[in-house]
Amino acid sequence: MSASRANRIQLILVMALLVLLHFYLRPRLWNARVSPDFLLMALVFFAMRAGPGAGALAGFVVGVVSDALTPAAFGAGALAHTVVGYLAAWGRAVFFADNLLVNAAFVAVAVWVRDLLLLLASGTPQGTLLTELMLNSPLQALSTGAFALLVLVAFRQWFAIRLDV
Amino acid sequence: MASASERSYTRRDTVIFVACVVLSLVGLFSPSAWGLGISNALRDTVLAPLVWLQARAEEGRTSRARLQAITLQRDSAAYLAQGIPSLAAENARLRQLLALSGRISTPYVAAEVLRQTQATDGRTLLLDVGRSDLVSEFDPVVAPEGLIGMVLSAGERSSVVMTWAHPEFRVSAYTVGAGASGVVAPALSSLGADGALEFRGVPYRDSVPAGTLVLSSGLGGVYPKGIPVGTVTGVAREQAGWERVYRLLPAASPGAVAHVLVLISPPGTSLERAFPSDSALAAIRLDSIARVRRSDSAAAAKESAR
Repeated sequence: MSASRANRIQLILVMALLVLLHFYLRPRLWNARVSPDFLLMALVFFAMRAGPGAGALAGFVVGVVSDALTPAAFGAGALAHTVVGYLAAWGRAVFFADNLLVNAAFVAVAVWVRDLLLLLASGTPQGTLLTELMLNSPLQALSTGAFALLVLVAFRQWFAIRLDV
Repeated sequence: MASASERSYTRRDTVIFVACVVLSLVGLFSPSAWGLGISNALRDTVLAPLVWLQARAEEGRTSRARLQAITLQRDSAAYLAQGIPSLAAENARLRQLLALSGRISTPYVAAEVLRQTQATDGRTLLLDVGRSDLVSEFDPVVAPEGLIGMVLSAGERSSVVMTWAHPEFRVSAYTVGAGASGVVAPALSSLGADGALEFRGVPYRDSVPAGTLVLSSGLGGVYPKGIPVGTVTGVAREQAGWERVYRLLPAASPGAVAHVLVLISPPGTSLERAFPSDSALAAIRLDSIARVRRSDSAAAAKESAR
């Protein structure tokens, strides 16, 4: 088996695990609004390794899934996730993508940016927007970033992550 | 300098990105019925296993608490069962006398709330019941504390609820005692008014004191009469001498509920008896005390006859 194919299979396995965690573990954790977003974590990991086009496409798919499950404003999730997927892929070229903390920080920032775009696109009133962006989103970004650290440490060889910070 | 293959790669990425953004914008600005239709179709087909998985996870999360509640209910029921025959007979006689109906005479479906991580989660809730459970659009959704919202779209095995936090939520309502009527809508305009409701369109001459309970009036054909919507906390604003807008503390919180009831009764049903107000509770309590006194006096008379 070639190295690139093995890498692809490993990436798919981690993505499948994160999807499973999102729908089976996350509901058992604490408040849904601040519990980690494993789908977004999977999107960022994928986009950082697959390129901007694939990242945008994956973001669109994840966004449509989110919109189907929380249809407050259909299309807002797709738009937000598409932009996040695209930016995450470009971010890889700018930052040190093999660094553990950089990866985790990427995920945390992506959660906040996703929420910002989502709230703006869905026409959220100012009061709710500020509460979400100042309280719930940072908490969810932290929890998602922390879980991203765990996942990256657990699969550091598959993701080619450096542990020196 | 970038090579030709790198340039085409970048161009292809940009084209994919722009196409995805355009599709998202089409979804965002298309009629909401289209979006709901696509959502339903996705949930009933490709996302059905994921929704099923999440429903099982929610069940697992709440199972321990539910087991404890059921154990407590079973113990209470076993204790109460000892006096059931005499109580049932007395209850039937009193019902005949007072012409009372049962507390809940409305058909309903119990549903589990499947929580999402989206920032817009509070506006809509995803339930694990759908058309296969006889749930349909515009069915009211209630929690034990009061009104949550109504079913916005019903899929085969899941449905979406528009909660009172949704900007488009409206319910016709009236106040207990004061008799003022108006329309309840979410308070969205001012900063810091999140999680509150407004009781709008109340005539200026009708003064509603703080603490007054506001119930659904049954007008409009969606929500039955008598579901608690909220409690008046004060005047939000006044409209130039012809109407007052009151601020309401919502009766039920969509963010906190794990289980809800979807009322599948036809419109026009009254639920006043299902959510007794303070005066009704007081009457029930007085009735219970009188019943105990009667049984005590009967037992004393029997004892003295011996």
